[in-house]
Amino acid sequence: MRFYRAHSIDEALELLSEWGEDGCLLAGGTDLMAQYGRGEIAPGALIHIEGIEQLSIISSGTRTQIGALTSHRELAADAEIAAGHPALASAAGLVGGWQTQAAGSLGGNICNASPAADLAPPLLVADAHVTLTSKSGERRLALNEFFMDRRATARRPDELLTVIGLEPLPPGSAECYLKLGRRGAMDVAIVGLAVRLSLAGDGAIKAARVAVCSVAATPRRVPEVEAALTGTRIEPDALAEAGRALAEAASPIDDARGTASYRRRVLPGLLERAVMQCGEEIGR
Amino acid sequence: MTADQPISVTCTVNGETQTLEVGAGETLLQTLRRRLWLTGTKEGCLEGECGACTVLIDGAPVASCIQSAAAVDGRDIRTIEGLSDGERLSPLQQAFLDHAAVQCGFCIPGMLMTLTALLEQQASPSREEVETALAGNTCRCTGYQQMVDAAMTAAGRERA
Repeated sequence: MRFYRAHSIDEALELLSEWGEDGCLLAGGTDLMAQYGRGEIAPGALIHIEGIEQLSIISSGTRTQIGALTSHRELAADAEIAAGHPALASAAGLVGGWQTQAAGSLGGNICNASPAADLAPPLLVADAHVTLTSKSGERRLALNEFFMDRRATARRPDELLTVIGLEPLPPGSAECYLKLGRRGAMDVAIVGLAVRLSLAGDGAIKAARVAVCSVAATPRRVPEVEAALTGTRIEPDALAEAGRALAEAASPIDDARGTASYRRRVLPGLLERAVMQCGEEIGR
Repeated sequence: MTADQPISVTCTVNGETQTLEVGAGETLLQTLRRRLWLTGTKEGCLEGECGACTVLIDGAPVASCIQSAAAVDGRDIRTIEGLSDGERLSPLQQAFLDHAAVQCGFCIPGMLMTLTALLEQQASPSREEVETALAGNTCRCTGYQQMVDAAMTAAGRERA
């Protein structure tokens, strides 16, 4: 295996086009080096990109632009992220321990496409788009089209994920990310759920976005639940109905962390808590 | 790892500049223990889960067992060996002794490195902040209370 240090986007793209599928991008390495250590991957080359400064810039505006190399720790501590994307900030603070948060990057979390990626649900409810750059040009893709399957994305081997664009929380809205794990920290989500809610003046739900992780092959939005919530008020019957829709839409599996039926059973309660929490925040 | 092409890395380790040839897939933990004989940093889970191998890179705690060695070129590494000044322990190390926070000892280098980073960034953390900082460090003897007590003492928040 060879090791390259890319100091600019152009250098990285050159190496990617040269190595194709045999080249592996290395940022913080919290997933990649563990996979390499277990012998699960055997790339021909590691292309280290942490030296590319343009990839760790955060800028706010109509859409927040976050560089792919931004670490979880930076996301959790950044004032602009806390204001415009509170669910993302809180999810970043729930990924692993400090060690993982300091090294692991936003782009890495997305490109590894773990079904349990904590950052994915908050990104999905913020209508995240990723920018993929290659020598032949640049394209933007909605995050829900980027996730193809468990650990599989739409990124071509010659492409570099450079920026994630997000819609900041509009006025009169709130969002949160709730994670169910066995411990308070350092755990992979048994179920993770993000809700972004906007209320009309009369207290009816004007718009609802709901996304989950760890209950399907990829993190995903749940349009059935969003439709069930929209137009209703935050009251028991409506929440129960939306909870049923969520349990039905989920396709969880049994694994070491929990069974499929357990995951289905906890989803409605988690949704209820998240919606109530958003409602209370908007009311404040 | 034999097929790895060696690559040169220059970094500082406990204040000393080191230039090393490392393998492309080598971890920082391997470099520290096998090339520099800094065996205070412990090999635990090798998956970045337990925190026993924690070292500081530019002041931030990182799991050296899943940190690429070739990737630390130009960066500042600190290990448990760099905490004391000769025979004089750091205030945090001394507080660990005073509170009998060490049981089997295996997790202690990692605990000390994480807490050192915390106290450098936040001179006076709350108990809860100390506990949150230690989320990525596991002690199988489960002596967390004494470690948190020690950190509070070192921060001047509680008396020994």
